[in-house]
Parts: sequence; C-alpha cells; structure tokens
Amino acid sequence: MRLTARLDDVQAAASRCLRDARCTYGSWPENRVLCPLYQHDPSFTFSGGGYLFLILALQEKKMEFDRSVAEFAFSCAGCLACDANCNLIRCYQPYAGITDIIRLLRSEVVRRGLMPGGVKTIYDRAGKDGYALELAGNAETADSILFGGPEADGVTAKLLEKLGRPYARLIEKGYITATLYDLGFWEELEPKVKAAWTKMKPLKNRDFIFTSPHSQEFIVNHYPDLVAGYTPIKARHISQVLAEAFRDGRLKSKNTGKVKVSYHDPCYLGRGLKIYDAPRDVLAALDGVELMEMDRNREDSFCCGAGVLGEYIPGLSEDTARERLKEFETTGADILVTACDRCQAAFQKVLPAGDRKRIKQLTELVEERIK
Amino acid sequence: MTTKLAGVKAAAVCRELKEAIGAEKVRDDEITLVTYGRIRHGFDAMWPFRKPAMVVFPESREDVVETLKIANRHKFPVTSVGTAAIMLGSTEGGIILDQRRRDRVLEINTDSGYAVIEPGVSFDKLTAALRGTGFKCSVGTMPGPGTILGQALGRGSQSFTTRYLNVILDLEVVLPDGTVFSTGSSHFAGVGSHLRYGPYPDLAGLYTCAYGALGVITKLAVRIHPVNEAYRVLLAGFDNYADAIDYVKELTNHNIPEHTIIWNWHMYITWPLEPEDMKTVMPGILESNFREPPEGIPYNIVSTFFSGYTEQVELYEKICAKVAEKYHGRVLSEEEVEKHFPATGAGFRQQYEDFHYRESVHWSKGRFVGWYVFAEPKDMKEIEQYAAGEFAKFGKAINPVNYYSHPFDYGRSILLRISGFPDPADIELRRKIAAKFEEMYDMAMKRYRAVPIRPVGSEKAGTYMQVLASIKKALDPNNILNRDSGLFEEGDL
Repeated sequence: MRLTARLDDVQAAASRCLRDARCTYGSWPENRVLCPLYQHDPSFTFSGGGYLFLILALQEKKMEFDRSVAEFAFSCAGCLACDANCNLIRCYQPYAGITDIIRLLRSEVVRRGLMPGGVKTIYDRAGKDGYALELAGNAETADSILFGGPEADGVTAKLLEKLGRPYARLIEKGYITATLYDLGFWEELEPKVKAAWTKMKPLKNRDFIFTSPHSQEFIVNHYPDLVAGYTPIKARHISQVLAEAFRDGRLKSKNTGKVKVSYHDPCYLGRGLKIYDAPRDVLAALDGVELMEMDRNREDSFCCGAGVLGEYIPGLSEDTARERLKEFETTGADILVTACDRCQAAFQKVLPAGDRKRIKQLTELVEERIK
Repeated sequence: MTTKLAGVKAAAVCRELKEAIGAEKVRDDEITLVTYGRIRHGFDAMWPFRKPAMVVFPESREDVVETLKIANRHKFPVTSVGTAAIMLGSTEGGIILDQRRRDRVLEINTDSGYAVIEPGVSFDKLTAALRGTGFKCSVGTMPGPGTILGQALGRGSQSFTTRYLNVILDLEVVLPDGTVFSTGSSHFAGVGSHLRYGPYPDLAGLYTCAYGALGVITKLAVRIHPVNEAYRVLLAGFDNYADAIDYVKELTNHNIPEHTIIWNWHMYITWPLEPEDMKTVMPGILESNFREPPEGIPYNIVSTFFSGYTEQVELYEKICAKVAEKYHGRVLSEEEVEKHFPATGAGFRQQYEDFHYRESVHWSKGRFVGWYVFAEPKDMKEIEQYAAGEFAKFGKAINPVNYYSHPFDYGRSILLRISGFPDPADIELRRKIAAKFEEMYDMAMKRYRAVPIRPVGSEKAGTYMQVLASIKKALDPNNILNRDSGLFEEGDL
C-alpha cells in the first residue's frame, strides 16, 4: 500500500466485501476460527469485513472519526488470517489485503491525532528517539548481515559465530520501521524507509538474516511498494539458517534429556513469509525433542495477540494469548517454542512468573541443545 | 414517533434485553450499528442504509424467544439475518437478530438421510461435519461461509436440487408471542425430522421465501445425500442454449443427473477464477462479446453430476455422450477442459469432490445486478434469447455477463439467472439497468409465462399477496418481523 493512500483509494475495494465471514476462519475442511476478534466475539463487526464496512460508513458520513474508531482500528491483531483466506479484496485496486486497509485506517486515525493511549506513547517515543539504521562490524568481510533492533540478539549472534559465519549488523535504532508501518505512522515512515534502503542497498548481495519476522516481512513484502528502485534482497530467517546448518552437519545436537515442545507459528513468519518448515526442521534435528502440534498450526495458526493495542474490547490482547496457551496446554507439551520475540512476550505476560520459562525462542532452545 | 421518543423506547428495549438474555449478547455501540447498516450479501450504494438500534446475538432458542417477546411487547421491529443474507433490508432503528453464534450441527441421521442444524450453520461447517459419514449436503451457489438456512429460505439455486425444489425438511419456528413449533414430523413428540409434511399442510413451504417475515427459524433439518460408490462430473459443450435445454431435459427425464446446470461461457470461465487469473484471463473476458465466444469455446457448457454403482456411472457417461450428440453437442474431454479453461475444471472438482464452494474473485468487479426467472423448458428457450438480447444492449460495460440455468423438481421448471457487473460507482447505469429489469420481468411474465424468483411487487401477485398479508397479520399482529425485507418491502403490509 502506498504511504500516500487515503480511504478514498480503498473505498471501492472495501465495497467488494460479501459479508460472508470468510476472512475469519482457516483452511478447508477444519474451518477453524483464526481471527482473534471473531474468536472473542463472533459478529460481522469483529471481522475483517467489519473494518471494511466501517470504512464505508465513515466515507459515507454515517459515522464520524472519534475515539471509538481509534480504539477499534488498533484492536485488530494484524494476524493476516483475513488476507490468507479472503481472495476477493486484494483482487481489486489498489490490490491490497484487508490488513493493509486496516493499517490505512490507522494512519487516518494517527493523522487526526486520535491515537489510543498506548499507541500515542509509542508515537511520542518514536518522535523523541529519532531513527537510525546503523552498520556495526566489518561489512567488507561479512557474508551475512544480521538485521534487527539494538537488543537483538545475543543468542543469535552466538549461533552465527558458532557457525563461523562472518557477519555485520544492521541495527534499527529508535524504533522498528515495521512497527511504524503496522501502526499507521505513515507520514513519518517514508523518509526512514528511504534512508534505510540507502544503507541496505550496497549490502544487498549478502545474506540478510532476520530474527524478527516483522522486520523481514515488512522489507520483503512492502518495500517493493514503498521504495522506488527497490530490488529484492536475499532475506533469510534465522530458522532457515539453522535448519540448513543442521542439514549439512555444521550444527550438531546434544541430548540434554527428553522434552515435549509445541511450536507456535508467528503470524508474520508463517502467513506473512510462508516459512513453516524451517522451524520444524530445526526442532526435528534436536535430539530428545518431540514436537506436539497444536490444532491450529502452520497457515491456520492462531495469533498470540501481541498486535492488539486498542481497547475496544478490553483485555483482548491478553485473552488472545490465553486462548492460544489453552490450546498449547491441550497438547501435553512442556515448552512452547516460537520464533518471534513479540509472541514470546505476549505469552509470558499472561503467565505466572514461575511458568514464563516455558515459553522459549527457537534460538534459545537450539543454543541449549547443541554441542 | 419522534426521533427522541424512538430513542427512549430503543433504550428501554435494549436495557430489558440485556437483563433478560445477558448484556454480552446485545450490542448497541455505534461501530456495531453502522457495520450492520447494510446487511445484504455484498454492498451496493443504492441499497438503503438503515442503522439498527441494537444487534442481538442469541446463543440459544430461549434467547430468541425472550428477544421476540420483549420486542413484540414494545412493538419494536426485528430483522433476523444469517451470515450473508441475500435479499434483506433491515428496519431503521430496529433490532437485528444475528444467529451466527448458533452454529452447531445437532444431528446427522444417515439412516433416513437428514441433518439437524442450528440456523448459523454454514455450508462449510455442515460439509466438514459430513466428511467420513458417507453423506454429503447440497452445495449452494452461495459461498461456503453462507448459511444453509439463508440459502434454503431464499431458495437460491442450490446444487443437488435438480430432484427437489428445496433442501428443507423441517423447521423450528418462533413466533413474536414466543410460541415455538416445528413444521415437519419432529412436531410430534420423540419423532425425527424425516418427513416434511403430513398429515397437515406444508408449513415449511410458508416459510420458504418469506424472508423471515412470518417467524424466526431456530433449528432446521435439511436433506443430505449418500456418497455413492462412484461418481462423475461430465461437461458437455453446446453452441446454443436451446440444445443445452433439450439435453438437460432428456437426462433429467431419464433420472440420470443428481445435479445438472447450464453455464454460459462468460460464467463458466470467470466463476472459478483464482486471484492471479484476474490479470490474465479476466481482461480478455471484459473486452469480449458474451454472445460470441472465441473459437473452441462453447457458448454453453452443461455440467452434469451423477453417481451410483461403478457400472451405472460408466453407462450414464455413455448415455450423456449419446444424448449430447443427439442435440448437436459433445462431451468435452478432460484434456480439452484443461487446455481451454483449467480453472473451470478445478472449480467443479472442488465443488463436487469436496462439496464446498468458495467465493469467486469475479466478484471483485463489484456487486452484480441480476435478473432471475423460472419458466417451463420450452418458454425458457425463448426467455434466454430475449434476456441475452436485452443484456447485450448494455455492451461491454456490464461484462462479464454471467448466466446459469438449471432444472428444479425433475425438470418441471427451469431457472435462468443472468447477471452483469456494471461499475458499482456508475449509479446512473445501475438505475437504467434496474428500470430495464422491471420491464423485462413484465415482459417475461406476460409473454413467456415466467415466474420471478424474488418478489417483484405485491400488485403483480394479486390475491396471493392478500392471503399472505392475512397470514402475516395472524402470526405477527404487531408487524415486528422483517417488515422491510424482500417480502413486504418498505413495510407495505
């Protein structure tokens, strides 16, 4: 979606909605509900189609922008389930998915200064801290670029060193551009993305290794629309790097005891980037690890709720995490593994302190169980 | 009533409802209300926007009973809807009763061949539940998420209805005063839903095409059909509709197809398209003349689904080839289908092998404008010529011009549903088309003995509507139910 888009640009696409709830549930024949809003409170309003009809109502002046619209706009988890299951909306110009249209609604909310409290805090902090994409390490000798925030990610760095891969880092400082896109801070985003691409472009022949599915998905799927002259980078998620290393014997597992794990597909790694096998290949390569799948997995994975920042339904983010954890508990697994720090944080937030260690990053589990 | 008074009354009803059935089942926030302002399948700016005062999401029959009793006492309008209503307009300031949360499959009876379901059950839900039971349900031309009830009551052109007019066997109905009754055999204590009517009149018929105006359905039983040892979907191509009709009629008279349907070439090509086809296949269709298919593309194809013992199916296949030839057509090979319209083959496989149907991307042109009639086979041949001629006058602006046509009740009656896709923003063109449709309905009824599938105005139905209005008054004396729906539009009771 162009950052200059306005609601007028998606009105026709929104009017293609058939109101049939197809956006809310997953693959045939299980047809499991995937939309966190719909799972919580089944109604047309709380579905991708509900957002589209709200936009139509706003455009027709049946309702004015107000705080409730703002809370609602940010109550979507952004889990991409609607985009994966509704073929219709993205077939009409501007050929955008429902999630992008909801992001556009958020950008209108932001432009009007109606952001919910939590979002406003992020917005203010982003403005204060500024933005920089900094290169650290020797790019000349690096064969790969580890892309992430400043805190990312000690464990991944260790693993890359163990693999003997010379790498440099591109560190997003201040805020993550993918977050700005998701939250509709679009007026602020464009110069940052251009600046980021200027830094990335000379390195584009290296492997870009991502730990955050959000950053990777943003660059791979949205840069082509946002950056003039963008050419694809070789983007790889750390799970793919690790899977390959196990396959070719550069990493070897050590058996530190049997453990049953379940794997939570992060929405942006799964539905966003279609990376489902690599994390499972990594788990399969770890001695003593048994994978217990949840009912909703792979393209039909259920969200962790981390993306819910609005309070139109109070506690929706936490309820979504709990719903997923309930599903995890039914597998009988000891540990819930994921490959996204936001998912990990969302689950840990609703667990008692003593249980939080049961939620692990894939990289953490690998580090614990390799020679 | 003044707006202020109406608001006070709505607030009282809302409060009472929240107390009676639970606040979490009654929503009156502004966003819910505006997103329920247009409840039909799809969106058309010409449809009136009617903001309800509240939306109720019942979770049990008792919730429906309580809602109706309260609404009736206050003479407050109620519109009951499914997931994707075909033909409903809600009432401004009323209650919308959305039964989507009532979506359990209650019973699958494989001895008699019926399923008992709640009103929110979709085709996807029932067909999934039937997997492994050796039975299948009718597959509607609504998308899989559409409710079976909505489709059946609206008498959409369902698959597998070649042998029947409707899939419904039994309905559980709640009246505005809270009375609950069943229309079929389950009305007798302890009896299942195997029989639609007898020894009394067919009350399920009263509720078919009543668009919710005579009661709220809270449970239904629908026909399900055995998955036989062998099955086949055969496509036969014809250069004209009259030959296709003769082919369909002869097969149906010999009791061969479970389902058979005639498609024009715009429709059989665009109906099953995948998103990526929109940039490859659709542009050519949009530029074409629907009455002149390109070389190698039959004007009509007939899809025929039949099943039975293996020997039976092999024989049917030979018979179809013989009958197609008799009527100047031919059965298309799988290779030919794959070469010329691969998406069509894939679409039929999905529909008939998996018994589910997903929305088509040809909808991305926007909400269609459709014209539908029933007629006897001989008359329908002339109607097709007439309707296609009238549609052609609008030119490429309404491409694709899609039609399908198929027999009901063993071929006694044929349905033709023809539609075009004008630009949704071109209101002037849409108005012209709507006016033309009125004229076409008049002509089809007078000259070709056609019957419209949807209500076309009480004055055309004469004393039928008077009787219906009397029934409505008896069952719903306060006129609270779906008063602005397709049956009694704009409250013309």
